[in-house]
Amino acid sequence: MLSKIKLISALLITSLLTLAAAQATEDAQSIMDAIIENLRGESVEATIIMTVTKDDRVTNYELKIYSAGEDKALIQVMAPPRDAGQAILNVEQNLFIYNPRLKRTLRLPPSGRSDSFLGSDLSYNDLSGDDYREDYSSSIIEQTDSTITLELIPGPQAPTPYGKLLFTADATTYAPLELVFYDQREQQVKLITFSEIVEANGKFIPTRFEVQDLLKENSSTVAVWQDYQFDVEIPESCFSQQALERGCR
Amino acid sequence: MSTATSSQAASVAAARQKRASTAPLYRLAWRNLWRNKRRTTLLIIVVAYATLAIIFFWGFTDGFLDSILSGQARFVSAPAIISNTQYFEDPDPENALANLDFVETALATNLVRGVAPRLEFPALLRSPYATQGALVRGIEPGLEPQVSNIPENVTEGRMISGPGEVVLGKSLAEDIDVRLGERLAMDVSSVAGPQAAGLIVVGLVDSGMSIVDETTVLVSIEDARRLTGIETATGIALDIPFGQEEAAARALAPLLPEGVRAYPVTELLGSLQRGLASERLQMIPLGLIFSLFAAITVTSTVVVSVMERTREFGVIISLGLSQYALSWLVTLEAIFATFVGWLAGLVLGYGLNWALNTWNILGPFLGRVYGDFLSVFALSDEIYAKASPEYLIYAGITIALAALFAALTPARRVRNLNPAEAMRSE
Repeated sequence: MLSKIKLISALLITSLLTLAAAQATEDAQSIMDAIIENLRGESVEATIIMTVTKDDRVTNYELKIYSAGEDKALIQVMAPPRDAGQAILNVEQNLFIYNPRLKRTLRLPPSGRSDSFLGSDLSYNDLSGDDYREDYSSSIIEQTDSTITLELIPGPQAPTPYGKLLFTADATTYAPLELVFYDQREQQVKLITFSEIVEANGKFIPTRFEVQDLLKENSSTVAVWQDYQFDVEIPESCFSQQALERGCR
Repeated sequence: MSTATSSQAASVAAARQKRASTAPLYRLAWRNLWRNKRRTTLLIIVVAYATLAIIFFWGFTDGFLDSILSGQARFVSAPAIISNTQYFEDPDPENALANLDFVETALATNLVRGVAPRLEFPALLRSPYATQGALVRGIEPGLEPQVSNIPENVTEGRMISGPGEVVLGKSLAEDIDVRLGERLAMDVSSVAGPQAAGLIVVGLVDSGMSIVDETTVLVSIEDARRLTGIETATGIALDIPFGQEEAAARALAPLLPEGVRAYPVTELLGSLQRGLASERLQMIPLGLIFSLFAAITVTSTVVVSVMERTREFGVIISLGLSQYALSWLVTLEAIFATFVGWLAGLVLGYGLNWALNTWNILGPFLGRVYGDFLSVFALSDEIYAKASPEYLIYAGITIALAALFAALTPARRVRNLNPAEAMRSE
């Protein structure tokens, strides 16, 4: 009789623990979904001022961005004159680059996707977006009244060289606040800070991004959104290769 | 007796007389050699040295070139590879083999000891610190050791055993700063669009050859197929005994489908093979110089001998030996001395080459002299000399030249001797 009670108790405790773990995973996953929704936003048309600092050199770029969902975006470089006319088109898994001097559009091969975008700390891969939900499993490692921090561990065959990511978001709105990339030796290698959060259609979207390469000194990229409009209807023609040269609209 | 029969008998009799008259010359020439033992010994040593040098020279040259070929066959490519002719011209994965139906037939061919499919493709390797392009080789882990020595040179970790794993050259791993047990991201442009995978580094190759350690990336062929969208292979590597690659490729030719060929390692080397072949050709003048040196030394020694024996020759002529026979005697002395030296040189030369073929003495020596330079050619620190019968012929040229020079110079001097003046000389 006593052994029966013990067995039932053990089964109950195991079930409760499993349920709790599953619940936690589900919570972490749903939080991650919410953060990504805020990060990727919906359709947006905006001007971005990007400041790239490399050692003592500071370069300011003016970019025009049209984005619809997670897998369609057109970025046009408006300034400085030296780089104006360049454009990048991301459609699903494909990245196209237009060079106005060559008057040619090139599909970026995988070998070029890790190259930095306009010499910044952002790569073309960053622009097209790593899939944090598909390649990583998330869990909550810290929760306060104001913030929540998720630890993202890549899957065994996830196509990422990072050991883990720590994603910190606002505990209430799930607006992304900070993303830290770690290598596989527990060393921080890259930091993205999100700020100047704006609310649009129930989403909390950061309009200021600061990217720091922690392996290099005096290397950072700051991108600030200006003149942004969310939930705009962007013609499908803006996401064609022709739009790279002639622009959107 | 008829006229024909009598002329035949006369010819036979003349031949017998000639043999009877020349046989003593051979004996005399041989005895004359040992009348001046010091001069003859010196002459033999010179010829022996030249012969040894020629045999070692060719043994080393051929052994060196064979070592490069062997290294290329077992570390860089394969003894032979079956691929599309299109792929040979343009090594793009899109030119992969249409099917692998012929593999069993290839395996049944004489000289083919084993087969291993390969799928090679360009990729970008990413670590948190660096990115680098590489040519990745997708392999069957169980079959690849038949055709390549790379698996046995995995000095840290282990060879891949299946999907999700990668083996890197040690220098390559250092360049992108990725360690054993860490994950590497690999980006590939496939027929189905860009693909990517994360692979765990399970082994590092340290072969001592920069061309291997800086470029090796091995993944399972399953991962390669998934990443590239190619379902077959870019080539079938064949295990063939060294030196038989071209014969095996010829034997396979009629058995392969149209547009598919077997390429032996000599063809896979491309411009390197042409360079090696021309290198060997360029060595011929060098070898001839050795022979020339020895022949000239023999000739000059014989000239001195003739000059010293002028009076003796005058007496011999006056006793009835024709000057022609006497010049032939001098020539025979040169030939015999050279022949003895040649024999001695053969024994020493082939003995040396056998030792250098058995023990790796050249490898460490050349490694110290040339450092990493040789590893670019997939030459490890193991280099062995070769011992081939054809070197007999190369060294035999010395005898031929010695005979020729002796006939031209000292023998001619003898033919032009005035016996009366010769007998009066000091």
